[in-house]
Amino acid sequence: MRELSFRGTTVRFGTGRSALTAVDGVDLVVPQGQVVGLVGESGSGKSTLAKAAVGLVPTTGGEIALDGAPLRTRRDRRRLQLVFQDPHASLDPRMSIGESIAEALPGRRGRAARAAEVARLLELVGLDPARARSLPSGLSGGQRQRVALARALAAEPEVVLADEITSALDVSVQGAVLNLVRDLQRQLGLTMLFISHNLSVVRYVSDVIAVMYLGRIVEAGPADEVLSAPKHPYTRTLLDAAPAFGVALDDPVPADDARLDTEAPSPHDPPPGCRFHRRCPIGPLTRPERTICAETDPQPGAADRPHRAACHFATEILEVPAR
Amino acid sequence: MTAPVAAPLAPTRTRVSAWAGNPWAGFLARRLGRLLVSLAVLVTLAFGMIHLIPGDPVRASLGVTAPQDLVDARRAALGLDDPIGVQYLDYLRALFSGDLGVSMSSGVPVSETIGQRLPATASLAVAAFVVVMLVAIPLGLAMAVLTRGGRRRGGELGFTATSAVIAAIPEFLLAVGLVFVFGVSLGWLPVAGRGGASSYVLPVLALALGPALLMARMVRVEALAVLDQDFVRTARAKRLPPLRVYLRHVFPNALTSTLTIGGLLLSSMIVGTVLVENVFAWPGMGMTIVSSILAKDYPVVQGIVLVYGAAVLLVNLVVDVLLAVADPRSTIREG
Amino acid sequence: MGRDQWKAALRNPVGAVAAGLLVLLAILAIVAPIIWGDAAEETDPAALSQGSTSDHPLGTDALGRDILFRVLVATRYSLGLALLATAICVGAGLILGVLPAVLGRRAGRLVTATVNLAVAFPGLLLALFFAVVFGVGARGAVLAIGLAGAPSFARLVQTNVAAVSGRDFVAAARVAGVARFRLIARHLLPNIGEPLVVNATVLAGGALLAFAGLSFLGLGVQPPAYDWGRLLGEGLDRIYINPAAALAPGVAVVIAGLAFTLLGESIAQVVGVRAVRRRQPPAMPPAAAAAPAGTDAVLAAEDLRVAFPAPGGGWTHPVDGVSLTVRRGETVGVVGESGSGKSLTALAVAQLAPDTAHVTADRLEVAGVAPLGRTGAEVRELLGTKVAMVFQDPMTSFNPSMRIGAQLAEVTRVHERQGRKPALARAVDRLRTVRVPAPERRAHQYPHEFSGGMRQRAMVAMGLMSTPELIIADEPTTALDVTVQRQVLRLLKDVQAETGAAVVLISHDIAVVGQLCERVVVMYAGHVVEELPVGALGAAAHPYTRALLASVPDLATDRERPLATIPGRPPDPADRPEGCAFAPRCEFADDVCRTRPSLAAVGPDQRAACWHPRTQPLDLALDAVTGGQA
Repeated sequence: MRELSFRGTTVRFGTGRSALTAVDGVDLVVPQGQVVGLVGESGSGKSTLAKAAVGLVPTTGGEIALDGAPLRTRRDRRRLQLVFQDPHASLDPRMSIGESIAEALPGRRGRAARAAEVARLLELVGLDPARARSLPSGLSGGQRQRVALARALAAEPEVVLADEITSALDVSVQGAVLNLVRDLQRQLGLTMLFISHNLSVVRYVSDVIAVMYLGRIVEAGPADEVLSAPKHPYTRTLLDAAPAFGVALDDPVPADDARLDTEAPSPHDPPPGCRFHRRCPIGPLTRPERTICAETDPQPGAADRPHRAACHFATEILEVPAR
Repeated sequence: MTAPVAAPLAPTRTRVSAWAGNPWAGFLARRLGRLLVSLAVLVTLAFGMIHLIPGDPVRASLGVTAPQDLVDARRAALGLDDPIGVQYLDYLRALFSGDLGVSMSSGVPVSETIGQRLPATASLAVAAFVVVMLVAIPLGLAMAVLTRGGRRRGGELGFTATSAVIAAIPEFLLAVGLVFVFGVSLGWLPVAGRGGASSYVLPVLALALGPALLMARMVRVEALAVLDQDFVRTARAKRLPPLRVYLRHVFPNALTSTLTIGGLLLSSMIVGTVLVENVFAWPGMGMTIVSSILAKDYPVVQGIVLVYGAAVLLVNLVVDVLLAVADPRSTIREG
Repeated sequence: MGRDQWKAALRNPVGAVAAGLLVLLAILAIVAPIIWGDAAEETDPAALSQGSTSDHPLGTDALGRDILFRVLVATRYSLGLALLATAICVGAGLILGVLPAVLGRRAGRLVTATVNLAVAFPGLLLALFFAVVFGVGARGAVLAIGLAGAPSFARLVQTNVAAVSGRDFVAAARVAGVARFRLIARHLLPNIGEPLVVNATVLAGGALLAFAGLSFLGLGVQPPAYDWGRLLGEGLDRIYINPAAALAPGVAVVIAGLAFTLLGESIAQVVGVRAVRRRQPPAMPPAAAAAPAGTDAVLAAEDLRVAFPAPGGGWTHPVDGVSLTVRRGETVGVVGESGSGKSLTALAVAQLAPDTAHVTADRLEVAGVAPLGRTGAEVRELLGTKVAMVFQDPMTSFNPSMRIGAQLAEVTRVHERQGRKPALARAVDRLRTVRVPAPERRAHQYPHEFSGGMRQRAMVAMGLMSTPELIIADEPTTALDVTVQRQVLRLLKDVQAETGAAVVLISHDIAVVGQLCERVVVMYAGHVVEELPVGALGAAAHPYTRALLASVPDLATDRERPLATIPGRPPDPADRPEGCAFAPRCEFADDVCRTRPSLAAVGPDQRAACWHPRTQPLDLALDAVTGGQA
């Protein structure tokens, strides 16, 4: 297992006025043996970043490197493996699960060796090896997601990227898959980029948390620190919005301010300056003197701020009330 | 709300046009551009047709017995001895001045022939088109409403089976059948030539019946699909009377998707006139093109292919514009 | 799989007849020229252009040849040429269709553009063009029809390839390093095979008809050879003398063409989804006369059942005896996994269940109306605007071709006979109430110009056009981002406070329900398994409720401990276990659980349907349940 790093990674779709910069100059390191949780809302570009890493969408700028060496060829990319969101779509309905897993095994090997390896992998993800011959249609969502994990591991990857792997599952099954991810990570020392829109899920499996907003990483740091002392107001907003027992809707949080009650900006036309300023609880809409937010992009100085926060006022204390 | 909501757009498919604020200009420019490209390809193919024919088209046209100097003279007259680039430019120049060449067999200008024959074909196609629309839309919508949610299985089966069988019979066979029943057996209607209103009945029927039923099937399927959509449930949740649900919520949405699919059907009807004209000895372009192909009168064939092709492209354009007008989501308008 | 579908297609009567016809035609094509070949060429100078006689049942042609023999013998040529043209069409179409997937981006786009351009022209026009180029005759016609059909088949292949290559399993195979050609052979082609086979079958029928058309025009088969189209063309000239000479080949063409087309369609039907037949519902004991509802109940349902006809006969009951009471002004959350029947319960209560559903209840009263057994018009009249609905997917729940303002105004225009202008003014006012920015302008926009969160607000505004007594929100925030979710939930809460309407919130997320509601109803496999006040969630008695609470991580979950899990999966509605439906997944289940438990009081305001209710307080991060606000 190695270290995966994104340096100024940019992904742009379309041309002219219809262009969309889905990922905009992302710097992110996934250290060896750690799980980096990437959290963000729909349209933030988090899935695109994972797809760019494995080569499913072309990058328009920056580089993606493994242990410092840029990934260029298909062979390079194979060292990263992606697990998809919807296990009903990510397995070929006409291939037995054993075949699907075997297909990902690198190198040539004999029939018996392949079968043995498939059996080992199925066991690893908690499935009966005797089911290698069944078709995906005979499996439940949770079981299919286990198969998808086994297929990713079959390729003997350096880094595993998991893109919303629990959001298509029923709540009663979600927990089991999360447990499996955690067990596998501890057992095999996986290096992992774990993507989800659900902060609670990310929190459960991650060592490091990175928060993405409109194509950019706005904050990244050790999981505990990011959650207990967020430096970016967007992270704070996400934390406040996560439903939790005992926290009534009436308990006001900064983001409930009626002045912020506007339409989310379109990724086709991101706001100037700080991209979050029109929804920011400590931004110009609540504090008119903070014109800098609407004028100056906070991204450039981010590396020097705590948690690499892309916020002009990152040093301001943003305590989260203890829960 | 002081927030500058510059582009309050759903981040899904909406795009900002290059002509800020006016998506229509962008759409029309793009669509006309595509029409021009299509026309250019059509003209090039019509021009190229004569050159793609293996051997000497003039020799083929005049026959093996024709004297060589006649063939040479005709070749020269058609400009076939010039370099191909020059020929192409000459062809384009002539085309822009309305000159489609001269018939090899009769010596009559092609444009004159087309001018004589076009009205007969156009009147047939337009009449059939109107019949298709008048039959297909009400029939399809009515069948959708009657057979929604698995109601009236018998009626559904009867409609789908009948329409499948009739729509599968090509127009010229339908024409022969109609001639036999209404012309030969019953003697009610004329079976050949173009005269009064009665002479239109059988050709229009032959041309329109299949497409009308096919289109009615499409309308029904589309309307049933719309009936299953969430917003129809919303309309029912508003406790609107059924007629209003159908008229305001189901039908407009079903028609736009039907038009998308039905466009091709309409343009194929234009060319379908070729066969129907030949059954009913209808004095249109279809008769002419067939006899010209058989007589190897290539300039006439070229000219008529151009007219048919242009008509098809025009219909496609009209359908696309209608769709852009009717559909506010305007996926077409957006490119 | 494939074989089964072919078998199923043949079991279908239409498919069987079509296949039988094709077999018959194939035999005829082989045998007819051998037996009657010579007889069909024999000229009979004594019988030129005759009608039907005993010697010649279908008459003779201008040279005195027997029409019947000629029609039979022509089978081979007609079918052979049509199949040849089909083969060319399918071959060329496949190549053109797969090329974009094989070639690079730019070359692929060029191929796609070319095909799109060609598809705009009808097949017959292309066929005429190619007939000119390749020359009049059978060979030219085969090429012309084959090539003329190629663009549309190519387009079909392209759309199918594009649809399949957009699926995740192809992306997964690519990520796993599967080579390009193996990808096409193992993943793409097998998954587009079905629609292609169906269409190739239909195409063969089309080619047969087109060929007949060209021959009929004199552009196809040339004498002395003959096919059905040629015979038809010759026969048509003498239709007044001998109609059979034109009709017989025509009928042959139609039958053969239909055989191909119908076989294709019946395969397509088997491959596709089949509509479930609407059936007479099973006899149910008549609903007891509705007892007068408690005056403060805005919704009272007793033993509510929703049945659907099962594909294999019989009925399934996704909602199987639900009792639910909602008092005026109360907010109740209904929680359950997919398949628990929670959404269907809501739809049934609101009289919006799908057409095929059969809804029964011992008692059902909504906003003072007992809707069961009434006609649709009566329900509309009585219920009117008393029940407002908010659906899960705001993207699809608005009519895309109508402006938002008009969709809102419609409610009062219909129910209060309000004029267009005042209705629209009220719509703008209600949009303002739900905090949609710039409501005057937004009212004139179409739904696609709204973001998801704004659309859901507009949906709430639609419910507020009158004064609803009950608002049913079915997973209103599932499709929304978490920050928007909070806004919509807060909006619902405000609306509830201002209007005093009761709210039923349906969600799979027990935390969301806990935030908004006073009381929680937990559903599993079509039953209510527990109902309890939100404050008592920490003392949940049913093992399923407890597992649900423990298995979902929140921001306070202990990261060092594994999450609680529930083994197995929810039962299929068609195949539910006898007795307690949760028993197979329950660690406390024993023999008693083979009998279905009914809801019984286990605490103040708390009822559970369980033989072994838990009394221990939940030890899952309890601070989270009892609230860290203190």
